[in-house]
Amino acid sequence: MNAPDTEVADTGSADTGSADTEPVVVAGTIVTARDEIDDDDPGRASLPGAFRPRWMGQRGRRRTGRRMRRSGVVAVWMLVVTTVVLLVLPTLLSLTESEIAGTPFAEPLGEQFLGTDSQGRDVAERALLGMRVSWFAALAVIAVGVTIGGMIGLVSGFSGGIVDAVLMRLTDAALALPGPLVALAVVAALGPSLKNTLIAVALTWWPWYARIVRSQVRALMGRPHVEAARAGGLSRTRVALVHVVPGTLSAVLVAASLDVGAVILVLAGLSFLGLGSPAPAAELGAMTAQGLTYLFNAPWVAVVPALGLFLLAVLANFVGDAMSDALEA
Amino acid sequence: MLRRLGVRLASLAGVLLLLTFLVFIIQSTLPADPVKAFYGRNSSPEIIAEKRAELGLDDPLIEQYGSFMGRLVQGDLGVSLRTRQPVREDIGAFLPATLELALAASVVAVGLGLAIGILGSRPGRASGALRSSSVALAAAPTFLAGIAGILIFYRWLGWLPAGQRSSELGTSGPTGFLLIDTLARGDLAGMADALRHMVLPAVALGIGPAVAIGRTLRSSLRQSYREEYIRSARAKGVSEAAIIGRHALRNSINPALAMAGLQLGLLLAGAVVVEVVFSWPGIGLYLSQGISSSDFPSVIGVVFVLGVMYVLVNAAVDSLQILVDPRLRS
Repeated sequence: MNAPDTEVADTGSADTGSADTEPVVVAGTIVTARDEIDDDDPGRASLPGAFRPRWMGQRGRRRTGRRMRRSGVVAVWMLVVTTVVLLVLPTLLSLTESEIAGTPFAEPLGEQFLGTDSQGRDVAERALLGMRVSWFAALAVIAVGVTIGGMIGLVSGFSGGIVDAVLMRLTDAALALPGPLVALAVVAALGPSLKNTLIAVALTWWPWYARIVRSQVRALMGRPHVEAARAGGLSRTRVALVHVVPGTLSAVLVAASLDVGAVILVLAGLSFLGLGSPAPAAELGAMTAQGLTYLFNAPWVAVVPALGLFLLAVLANFVGDAMSDALEA
Repeated sequence: MLRRLGVRLASLAGVLLLLTFLVFIIQSTLPADPVKAFYGRNSSPEIIAEKRAELGLDDPLIEQYGSFMGRLVQGDLGVSLRTRQPVREDIGAFLPATLELALAASVVAVGLGLAIGILGSRPGRASGALRSSSVALAAAPTFLAGIAGILIFYRWLGWLPAGQRSSELGTSGPTGFLLIDTLARGDLAGMADALRHMVLPAVALGIGPAVAIGRTLRSSLRQSYREEYIRSARAKGVSEAAIIGRHALRNSINPALAMAGLQLGLLLAGAVVVEVVFSWPGIGLYLSQGISSSDFPSVIGVVFVLGVMYVLVNAAVDSLQILVDPRLRS
């Protein structure tokens, strides 16, 4: 077997160990198990060399497989647990944003676990709700950013030529602008609300993804399996979506997972400046800003939401680190 | 090298043009009618129509962009709805405070970043602790750093003042930079006072960028340590300090410089938050007051000024990179 084939075989085996995903070598052609199952679909497995990359499959996985799998498992668990806890806990405890829980400015460890704010609302309760908003808002922004950037990068890398040049100059220009400031101006123009903040940040958070996807696409285009798929006469859309996109995913996911913490902080900063949801809503940034007024008499009102934000961002960064450990060979 | 700098300059012009275009688009898609906002909601339709025509709001967009650019070049950013002053004058009054803070924070960011990068790249337990604490620090929101600083060093220890630029009000002089003004007056006590006021906000603002710069420097330094020329230097018996200072650092400073450019630009956006926490009378505080009173001209004016500064800082750092690293000159 020649060298590129070996490489391809490695790429194909996303889950090492289980027999049904091991690539099988048939007469010099790489055929993965899934392709064999799809045999009745013409044009899928019949192209010599045109294998479908496993989603998120990576090279060199076997060698350091165990360590990477472990941190990958940790990352996914942290992600799932955080999401589920933040999704379920407030509902389970029937937390509300504006319920009066006790006297105003009750100290922590007294009436309420972490004290009450100027209106007697439970600070811990509101902080937890705020963490939920921050977490899902950040995930939504990243998802939109990856989609926009991914499409631009894919079109750019796949088309090449003038389309590529124009799209990449546009991306460079967008990268050269200060994202958070542009987002601030957009929200101020559209009117402060969580929805507008999300739109504004998502609109400024795609250029890196576009660059990453484009460079991955350019690299993948020269690989034998894509050449084979093109030579086999598959449509451009099909080559792009089935044979190229899966190979770009791991790099994008690494970048995206490392970005979650940063997006959480940017959104909180905008909310801190009064560009989030209007008053009674529990948002960590806005809560901290309101608490500043009472910083010396009731420091917990500002500190608790700020610490909640810090916790969430630390968690997001650790998930990101673990995820990139797992996906980066 | 000149050619590369020229290309950089041309792209700078392009980006600045894009920035003005973006600001114009944002401004012209405002849902709030600027005429109604300025002349009152209950003005008669005739007056509003007349003012619209007068302000050129009925012209085609491209003509409006032309006149917008004309005004911008003259430094006309409109009139603030809150202070009823030209936005340019407001920004002119508040900008020195922001620049002073941003410069102080840059010194903190670069100094602390170098320390984190160099110490973190050395083997040993201390560097491991530094590394994990820098992961945590990278996640600290700017306002948490500010609040923690105020509570610990002002409220608890009483070492440093929190808030405002100096103990006396209205001490600003001709340049608006307190450190320079007090020095020019020979007022050393005033200068020390201004410095003490600057410590907490500058550290709160600079610590995030410092961590980012430090982490980048650390990884590129560790790559350099593995190079042949470092091994030869060690074999020749060059001291560790000289190895880092003369050989490793110079070859690995470039990624850190790129990161510094990005971070120092973003630091300007962070200054807005820090100024609110410390009631620092700069354009960030002005911006936040503009946001809470829906004063759109002042918001867009500040964003534009900060945006231009961001673009300029990045271009300056890029050019610096070309100057520092001969490998980038070809």
